[in-house]
Amino acid sequence: MPQQSIEALARRAPVPDWGQSLPLEDTRGEVAITGIGETAVTGPSGRHPKAMALEAVAAAITDAGLRPEQVDGLMVAAGVADQLTAEDFHEHFGTSQPLWFSTDGGAMVWAATCAHTAALAMRRKQARHIVNVFAVDWATRRAAGTGTPGDWHASEIMKAHFELPFGWYPQPVYFATFARRYMHDYGLTAEQLAALPMTFRRHANRDPAAVMYERELTLEKYLARTPLADPLRMEDCCLISDGAAAWVMSPAEEARDMPHAPIAVEGVGHGRVHGAPYISQQRVITATPQPFAAPWAYAMADTAPAEIDVIAVYDCFSSTALMQIEGLGFCREGEGGEFIQEDRLYYQRHRRLGGIPCNTHGGLLSHSYLLGISHVVELVKQLRGDAVNQVDSARVAAYAGFTADEASTLILKRGN
Amino acid sequence: MAPDRNDPLAGPFWQAAANSELRITWCEHCDRAVWYPKADCPQCQGELHWRALSGDATLLSWSEVLAPINPDHAPPYITGLVCPLEAPEVRLVTRIVDCEADRLRCDMPLRVCFRALQPREGQPFMAPLFSPC
Ligand SMILES: [Zn+2]
Repeated sequence: MPQQSIEALARRAPVPDWGQSLPLEDTRGEVAITGIGETAVTGPSGRHPKAMALEAVAAAITDAGLRPEQVDGLMVAAGVADQLTAEDFHEHFGTSQPLWFSTDGGAMVWAATCAHTAALAMRRKQARHIVNVFAVDWATRRAAGTGTPGDWHASEIMKAHFELPFGWYPQPVYFATFARRYMHDYGLTAEQLAALPMTFRRHANRDPAAVMYERELTLEKYLARTPLADPLRMEDCCLISDGAAAWVMSPAEEARDMPHAPIAVEGVGHGRVHGAPYISQQRVITATPQPFAAPWAYAMADTAPAEIDVIAVYDCFSSTALMQIEGLGFCREGEGGEFIQEDRLYYQRHRRLGGIPCNTHGGLLSHSYLLGISHVVELVKQLRGDAVNQVDSARVAAYAGFTADEASTLILKRGN
Repeated sequence: MAPDRNDPLAGPFWQAAANSELRITWCEHCDRAVWYPKADCPQCQGELHWRALSGDATLLSWSEVLAPINPDHAPPYITGLVCPLEAPEVRLVTRIVDCEADRLRCDMPLRVCFRALQPREGQPFMAPLFSPC
């Protein structure tokens, strides 16, 4: 398929009127993920995020069959934890090559959009092999009382004046409020919602690397739990973890000669709600911004939900995961409660059986809270055929990223 | 933590609340609410004024906080989003009071009342809260 113009992509990707797609150039098939690396994911470890990041980066470079001196690009997150710098990279690996550096990487929405940013850097010949890395030590910091995921929210001036004084904080309260409205509008019940945390937990119960490996979750146990912020229970909320993950992105033509089957970046989408960054003012509170990202990614990849074999959605809360599944187009808005029943998200429910395996590593609810970077690593394993909960003959995968007022979509495809 | 009544952008909301008034920023030229407050109207760049509202509103949604997840406010309490009658597209974050959570319904009519909230640290402050009519 010839490259599509931004105008053509916009025509193929209509979106609702309460937000917008960001105009990303068509970079279909230009970049492949060629190496992945992870640390152990844990509760409070006392490890510094940079130490964890370097361990994940080293593993990813080795997995790609590269030497550290062949890496010439580094993407990290801005504003979360203490991320790597180019100097950290060189000091650790004893290297000195020029390193293209970007803070538009990491996890959350950037776990998808970094692939597009990397493709543009490769077009401009700024880098060939780019590592994206994300590390977090929130479990350690929460235990020490030195930081929480709510810190940004508490420091933002409008939220500090118009939300915090009333106790509309931290994040579980926002998403409980949205989930309540969703329940009113669409009749979702607690028993229905439970299918999400329970399915993700069953995935984690099969994977010794997952934080919740040994902790089973039954419907009785779920329903017996007093909500933290009604209707969300502890099992509906993400874990707090320490850990890091990384991957290497390489030009598609070089990826063919690297050790693993190349995992091609076929489509990327990025959307934002009007009124950002205040989700209290988002016009529709029964959806995430995923409907502003997915259509663009599908148009770029020239694909559709029916062709996707496995998904990973940013599941900071069970209810947002439900909305992300709807936003990706696997069912209509409001139908998610019915859709996720009957094990439809379980890894053995292949598309041809009417399912869509989702968060096969356990997600933020049961694997670890690495803010989505582990989701993409899991999809790469699925497409390589190396996953613990392997979906039968998975060829196309989608990640749905989410950062409150923004969403992103990444479509990956197994090459030959 | 108590809100800062002297904040140039946000303070007038809290000064009004201390006088038992509910005010939000409004563009007279576009005749619409602009919320949260901004330096000027994002549509016409005109000046914004703090307009007094009647205090009638509807309940968009709520959550009853039942566990000690908020550092400043002890559970249980009900917080939520309400839409003022004069500007239904605006969402005021507030507390719902004088009502059990199981009696609340989305879209039910509410009326403002002014009560003191006492954060764990700092002085109590008057705040616009809402209860069913
Ligand atoms: Zn105006």
